[in-house]
Amino acid sequence: MTAALTATSIIGVLIAGAILYLVRRDHLHGSYALWWLAVAGAALLLSVFPQAIDWLGRATGIAYAPVLPIIVAIGMILLRMLKMDIDRSRSERQLRRLTQKIGILEQELAATKRGGASEAAAARPKTAQVIPLPKSGDA
Amino acid sequence: MRQQGGSNNRLLTVIPARNEAATVGEIVRRVRSVVGGEVLVVNDASTDDTSAQARLAGATVIDLPYGLGAWGAAQTGLRYAKRHLFRIALTLDADGQHHPEELPVLLDGWRRSGANVAIGTFPQRLSIAKRFAWRYFRTLTGIGVQDFTSGLRVYDGHAIRVLASRKASLLDYQDLGVLMLLRKKGLRLHEVPTVMSPRRTGASRVFSSWPMVVRYMLHTTVLCFAQFGWHWRAAPTRTRASA
Repeated sequence: MTAALTATSIIGVLIAGAILYLVRRDHLHGSYALWWLAVAGAALLLSVFPQAIDWLGRATGIAYAPVLPIIVAIGMILLRMLKMDIDRSRSERQLRRLTQKIGILEQELAATKRGGASEAAAARPKTAQVIPLPKSGDA
Repeated sequence: MRQQGGSNNRLLTVIPARNEAATVGEIVRRVRSVVGGEVLVVNDASTDDTSAQARLAGATVIDLPYGLGAWGAAQTGLRYAKRHLFRIALTLDADGQHHPEELPVLLDGWRRSGANVAIGTFPQRLSIAKRFAWRYFRTLTGIGVQDFTSGLRVYDGHAIRVLASRKASLLDYQDLGVLMLLRKKGLRLHEVPTVMSPRRTGASRVFSSWPMVVRYMLHTTVLCFAQFGWHWRAAPTRTRASA
């Protein structure tokens, strides 16, 4: 085993190990964990058997085989980023709607508590403005 | 189809407000005396006492936990309207540029047009930059409204349902995206010329600086692109100024 091969193996094993550790620690959720396990597997495989790249290069007719994993990796990264932005847009939509709902429900809660009679509630909004998040202890 | 005349107790006036403590109370009082019905101020995470001023003036107040922007706040009001089964929602700005006294004119123009949505516009107010921008967007979208950003509007029950939906939640401004969504759903727009004042306090959120304008133009162009060619509905109608 050449020094270069040893180096790639170590890097691959480290990457795979780190990902496995994070998945095991439950830092990655559901489909993300699956994706990253696949990445870990590929890193491990390619670092230990770099000949696979030459073989893939011949099989696909690419003259300079080392460029293949780079192209594939960039493609995967782009897809991943696209998916991330889609997910972020969905989260943003949900967050906005939840924020609106909290505002509406807080108003209804206050109105219910007031019973439509007392004017004393006029002083309450000041606390509602200063604290930026919905308060759990809001009486 | 729609309740003609009668009382305004199924009418909600939505006033999105961010740091408008100086004017919001007066606006709420004037709206209450001119059109009646419930007045809802959506406090878009103000740092002044907008919320207290609005409450003192007799408005229902929703305090958003963090700023959602002008459209996010207006949509909160429309969701409230949907939840509480209001048939008509009026919106106007809290900074005093829209006169509550113009609301009956707007409502009247809207009723007579039979459209789902009426927009109160004041073309004379527009700066050169805005005129240019709106001409560009009129060409791009085919929506022939004089002022897309005007927040002086009437929505009927159908429009309230459309705009309270999830589809409208990722819009950042209340102008073209909202109008294109309404058009896509087959709703009709009507434009009513009204009198407006220049802003007394605060500043336009969109036309505040050149980077903001560029950002806005790009953002909206992309939005137009996303909606392009889906529906070429009838152009909005317009009430004559003499009415």
